[in-house]
Amino acid sequence: MAYSDKVVDHYNNPRNVGSFTKDTPGVGTGLVGAPECGDVMKLQIKVNLDTGVIEDAKFKTFGCGSAIASSSLATEWLKGRTIDEAAKIKNTDIVSELKLPPVKIHCSVLAEDAIKAALTDYKDKYASRLAGAGAAAASS
Amino acid sequence: MNHFEVFGLPRKLGIDTVELQRKFYELSRRWHPDFHQAAPPAEQARALEASARLNAAYRTLRDPVARVEYLVRLEEGRAPAAATGKPKAPPDLLEEMFEIQEALAEAKAGGLDEAGRRRLAAERERLRGRFRDEEARLVGPLAAAWDAGDAAERPRTLEACRQALATRAYLRTVIDDLTEALGESQEGHVTHRRH
Repeated sequence: MAYSDKVVDHYNNPRNVGSFTKDTPGVGTGLVGAPECGDVMKLQIKVNLDTGVIEDAKFKTFGCGSAIASSSLATEWLKGRTIDEAAKIKNTDIVSELKLPPVKIHCSVLAEDAIKAALTDYKDKYASRLAGAGAAAASS
Repeated sequence: MNHFEVFGLPRKLGIDTVELQRKFYELSRRWHPDFHQAAPPAEQARALEASARLNAAYRTLRDPVARVEYLVRLEEGRAPAAATGKPKAPPDLLEEMFEIQEALAEAKAGGLDEAGRRRLAAERERLRGRFRDEEARLVGPLAAAWDAGDAAERPRTLEACRQALATRAYLRTVIDDLTEALGESQEGHVTHRRH
């Protein structure tokens, strides 16, 4: 199957490969997978806790070229967005940017799931921090 | 007509394969295209279709794991070709698969020495054991739970089957990847992904 130039580019020069330590303040981690093809994708965001802007994003994907390209592209798009803006990234945006064929659409779905999972993880952690700070303030 | 109906069976996972084979031969004889050569074209076409359906049904039902996979799809009301659903693998499993893949990538990048190969081979043995356990769970307790369960319990059993199938699929991939890294993949062996 022929990959589009953009997929090949992301595959050969993946952006933002790597990881943050999970408990770094402001880091949200999404780990998702597709059992049908065995792909595993980890995507992390590092959010500025004051502004809510994603300052950095990293990924590590074990899977086919399209899955790697989808998550690589996702990290590029995430940087500089607020978490609300990030939640608006749709798999269809990834499909059209990378010109993914129908059989590879699930790779873009996986990337969207990974973004959502990272955002959820971030919000969960952040909410508990806020609640913790509030409780501490209330009891003092 | 679904695969169970082809054999006049209820939608259950406990199937006597000896009896299934006997019935398969019987129905094969009935629908074999050779016995319908003299029939009108419409009837010949019908026989051919029935024969193909019978073969597909037998191939699936005689394999206890394929049987569960099929039942899950059937219960989801989906066509076999459209695997769009998202069986959720347990999160711990994802973590583990990720770690194994990471270790594998590192081992490959660093070049595999003899100790590294032994470690990977041992890891693969361990995972093969897990793979067998997962299959045994599917065709054993889970299949029995499905057959014995009432309508209220079935969604939970179905979900457990989906999880076990997803786990099995992940394990298969990682076992294949380890085999490939060890340079043991056989010529002509069809890998099921990475296209």
